[in-house]
Amino acid sequence: MPTITINGVACEFTPGQTVLQVATANGIDIPHYCYHEGLSIVASCRICLAEVWAPNPRNDNALEPIPKLLPTCQIQAQDGQHVYTDSPRATANQKAVMEYLLVNHPLDCPVCDQAGECKLQDYSYEHGRGVSRFEETKVKQPKKDVGPNVLLYSDRCIMCTRCVRFTREVTGTNELIVQGRGNKEQIDLFPGKALDNPLASNVIDLCPVGALLDKDFLFKKRVWDLTSSPSVDGITSSGDNLWIDHADGRVYRVRPRTNLEVNLWWITDEVRYGWKHVHSEDRLATPKRRQHGARVETEWPRAIAEAVRGVRRAVDEGRRLAVLLSPMLTSEEAFLLAETARAFDPDAILGLGPVPTVGEDRAFPPSRDGEPVHQSPRSPSPGQPPRPFIMRAEKCPNARGVRRVIEGIGATPLDVVGFVTAIKDHGVGAVILTGNYPSAWSTPDLRGALAREGLFVVLADTLDSPLVELTDVVLPAATWVEKAGTFENAEGRLQSFEAAIRPVAGARAEGQIALDLHAELEQERAKADGAGGSPAGVTPKPARLYDAAATRRRMAEASDALRVFITHTHQPPAQHLRQTDMPVVEV
Amino acid sequence: MFTPKLTEPVLTKRIPTYPFGDEADRRIVSYDDYVKTGGYGALRAALAMPPEDVVNAVKESGLRGRGGAGFPTGLKWTFLPKADDPDEPGVRYLAVNADESEPGTFKDRLLLDYDPHLMLEGIAIACYACRLSVAYVYIRGEYHHQARVVENAIKEAYEHGVFGAKGLLDGADTATGKPWAVECHLHRGAGAYICGEETALLESIEGKRGWPRNKPPFPAIEGLFGKPTIINNVETLAHVPSIVEHGADWFKTMGCESSLGGPPSYGSKLMGVSGHVNRPGVYECDLGIPLRVLVEDHSKGMRNGKKFKSAIVGGASTGVIGPDDFDAPMDFDIGRRCNVLGLGTACPTIFDEDTDMVAVARNLARFYKHESCGQCTPCREGSGWMLQLLERIEAGDGRTKDLDLTLEIATSMGAMPGTTICGLADGNNWAVRTILNKFRGEFEARVKPTYVPVTVAVGAAANG
Ligand SMILES: Cc1cc2nc3c(=O)[nH]c(=O)nc-3n(C[C@H](O)[C@H](O)[C@H](O)COP(=O)(O)O)c2cc1C
Ligand code: SF4
Ligand code: SF4
Ligand code: FES
Repeated sequence: MPTITINGVACEFTPGQTVLQVATANGIDIPHYCYHEGLSIVASCRICLAEVWAPNPRNDNALEPIPKLLPTCQIQAQDGQHVYTDSPRATANQKAVMEYLLVNHPLDCPVCDQAGECKLQDYSYEHGRGVSRFEETKVKQPKKDVGPNVLLYSDRCIMCTRCVRFTREVTGTNELIVQGRGNKEQIDLFPGKALDNPLASNVIDLCPVGALLDKDFLFKKRVWDLTSSPSVDGITSSGDNLWIDHADGRVYRVRPRTNLEVNLWWITDEVRYGWKHVHSEDRLATPKRRQHGARVETEWPRAIAEAVRGVRRAVDEGRRLAVLLSPMLTSEEAFLLAETARAFDPDAILGLGPVPTVGEDRAFPPSRDGEPVHQSPRSPSPGQPPRPFIMRAEKCPNARGVRRVIEGIGATPLDVVGFVTAIKDHGVGAVILTGNYPSAWSTPDLRGALAREGLFVVLADTLDSPLVELTDVVLPAATWVEKAGTFENAEGRLQSFEAAIRPVAGARAEGQIALDLHAELEQERAKADGAGGSPAGVTPKPARLYDAAATRRRMAEASDALRVFITHTHQPPAQHLRQTDMPVVEV
Repeated sequence: MFTPKLTEPVLTKRIPTYPFGDEADRRIVSYDDYVKTGGYGALRAALAMPPEDVVNAVKESGLRGRGGAGFPTGLKWTFLPKADDPDEPGVRYLAVNADESEPGTFKDRLLLDYDPHLMLEGIAIACYACRLSVAYVYIRGEYHHQARVVENAIKEAYEHGVFGAKGLLDGADTATGKPWAVECHLHRGAGAYICGEETALLESIEGKRGWPRNKPPFPAIEGLFGKPTIINNVETLAHVPSIVEHGADWFKTMGCESSLGGPPSYGSKLMGVSGHVNRPGVYECDLGIPLRVLVEDHSKGMRNGKKFKSAIVGGASTGVIGPDDFDAPMDFDIGRRCNVLGLGTACPTIFDEDTDMVAVARNLARFYKHESCGQCTPCREGSGWMLQLLERIEAGDGRTKDLDLTLEIATSMGAMPGTTICGLADGNNWAVRTILNKFRGEFEARVKPTYVPVTVAVGAAANG
């Protein structure tokens, strides 16, 4: 394999890779602003320049210096080259570029959201000169409201043009432009447009400085107080990889986690802001039970006991139990609920909850005649994946996974219409519903069927809704950021994730609810069996704790069809599981 | 004593110019006038030659680009990728650089004003020789009149079958056995200096913002619309017909050899003299003519009998020479000989003894600050910073350390050290650096606490 030596480290590379890419792959940091893997190369910020020595074939391949500094983000690695980004000339350039970038920068880090994750701060610290010799007047530029979710602080912008290239090359929407020339130049909106497209907020992450900021996150939290947990899209079927940034049990923002096989570097705005229901005022927090026709709050043990009693009574009367498994559930939870349902009633009816869709799948960049419509025919990043980013029409994360589980245990899932028809039948005596959608989801038809006299209804859901009024027992459930599990995305990729935060007060994961119901059921049965013999001798058996990984192993044991959950589940890479908190330095 | 070898006008054959003719006799050369005086004969001669021979003739003549960089034209033409089938090389472009925006430069304008067909004939020959099928003439935005003249000339050329789908010269047979068709378009700039930089020019023709591209890929491989493209200056192309007609050896009789052992400076050159002289204007001279001759003979001497102090050599970007270099020969060696960037466009701006060089530096810095396209960090921020420093120094508020800082900023930016994408930053660098280095005394005096400001208006300040 060809080899290039960067700062004295020999690195193997594949022809076509840029020097910066080779360096990154080998753990060598070269500062860069304008370069981004997902965008075309412009080599305009000039901080990545290196001193290069190349073998001269006309001089017996002796190493000879190239007089110019060269941009490592643009030049391709060549066999035998020696590249230095730590030589006096290269570091002098880094210092100069850092000084230039700060010439017209307001230096308002104390009130800037980006502080703590800002490349200007990082590189100033690593490569800057510490003091500025600039004594003249700074160019002042305005703040601009550029779109529904994004604010632009022009004065902090370093003109790397990542945001402009993003709207050209990825979304194809061209909302952002460069306006003006020289140091008066600024990022602006194309006249008559707003930065309003389904991927718009990615420019916030792309912006290496605090120029493009998230209105939703603005002034909410200093980033060094946040903890980032790797997760997966829990709102649509895309399976986008995410970072959930949280503190003190609250989610503050969601960012894309790079995965070249799934979401590349991006997420849609609906996923980015799709966690709002987690901390909604309408979250169900306390279990409820029916008392004289009204719902009253109760504690978990009582609610579970009452649910089990109600379902058992129906089953004992020879009527069926029907369970609706929501496509918002994790596969593990669907398995545990199905298992519990069969413990109550071996012939339990299993349904798959409504699968909401909006419009059609959309590809970015949009394609025309099968060819992606790019604005940039020149210099795409070498190794840039040819695949587009897909925004999914299906607005639930796990319809495939839940169906796979139901079919894996040998049942056929009913769709919602089939399920509603089934529960209208007087043969059904008890229903367990799961929801967990980010907004109200029940249909009038379903509500009509539930209102039937004599039907015992248990609801495990996250948000208050008209359904609550139709149920006998309400169990507050947990959203995906509060629990672990596995989702199967639209492409059939199984991805597991861990909980980012603990369930909000009073809520429990549906997986836990299934285990609680199951434990209570066994205990009741044991009590009934033992009733004749030793009336006092029953010790309550505690419910197991929901453990997604252990559940996957049990699923594999239960059915060969479910072995894929062991063999094919993708976990976040190990380095993503490490916390990247800022170390606290004692002064 | 300098004896001119140029005995007959070449580029100014149809444009009366001192010492060969009287400016008062100038008029626009129409197609008919052009043909009557032998025009398009060179094109006919070229078509009778195999295309490679035309390229070789230009290569042998030693013709160097007249747009500023002085790159050998024939060599540039050979950089085009070899087509599998020379008759079907695919679309390849010629971009003609008529942006002429370098401060002090107005030599292409003479050709565009009066003899546009000379350039068009050069275009046709270059396209035939290099197998290019479409030519774009990118003309400076402010050249309204010239744009009309060229537009009209292109129309005439089409009407007379020079250009068009049938092939050059009404589909005349060529040495390859097939006619060669060329389309020619005029594209007007919008007033940005940077669009004269060859790759920014291509971006501009493509309808984009005039932002220079990183090289490589070079335009000869990946140019306009991603296709192989040759970019040449108007004057460069205007030289091509006479080279084809009279041969490379004839061309070499004009101009001069290099006295420094470098590549020679053959041929004649349009030199536009401006500044403190009695008769500013464009003159056709041998390369290598001493600046003193250009000033004292062609330009009728210094204005008001003042002494020569300094000159911008050939467009602001080249920097200035000091009073000792008045005899410097205007050839491509001037850069090394006089410590300036190069000959540039060979359009000197002359300063007399009263000129405030601090104001000159400030005025030029203002130009580059205004024209920086803003892409590269060093050029965008450095140009603005340097202007503010020079303004402060000029106002008498500077300190000695500001001079060093200005020099440091100037020296660090440019495509030659590699810290920027294009040469605009080098221009800024050389303009400021040469003035500051060669006239440091004036700057030192300004930053002394004892300095009393005297106002001398230069450039923009002079206009209010
Ligand atoms: C900032 C900048 C501005 C330039 N402006 C012009 C111009 O106005 N006209 C021109 O012919 N060349 C200009 N050039 C030079 C061109 O980039 C290029 O070298 C030239 O057009 C090539 O033609 P030639 O080889 O025939 O000289 C400029 C270069 C730079 C860096
Ligand atoms: S706003 Fe941010 S991403 Fe856009 S050019 Fe400025 S610094 Fe770069
Ligand atoms: S050097 Fe200046 S003008 Fe040239 S590309 Fe860079 S910023 Fe633009
Ligand atoms: S990262 Fe290479 S020039 Fe910006």
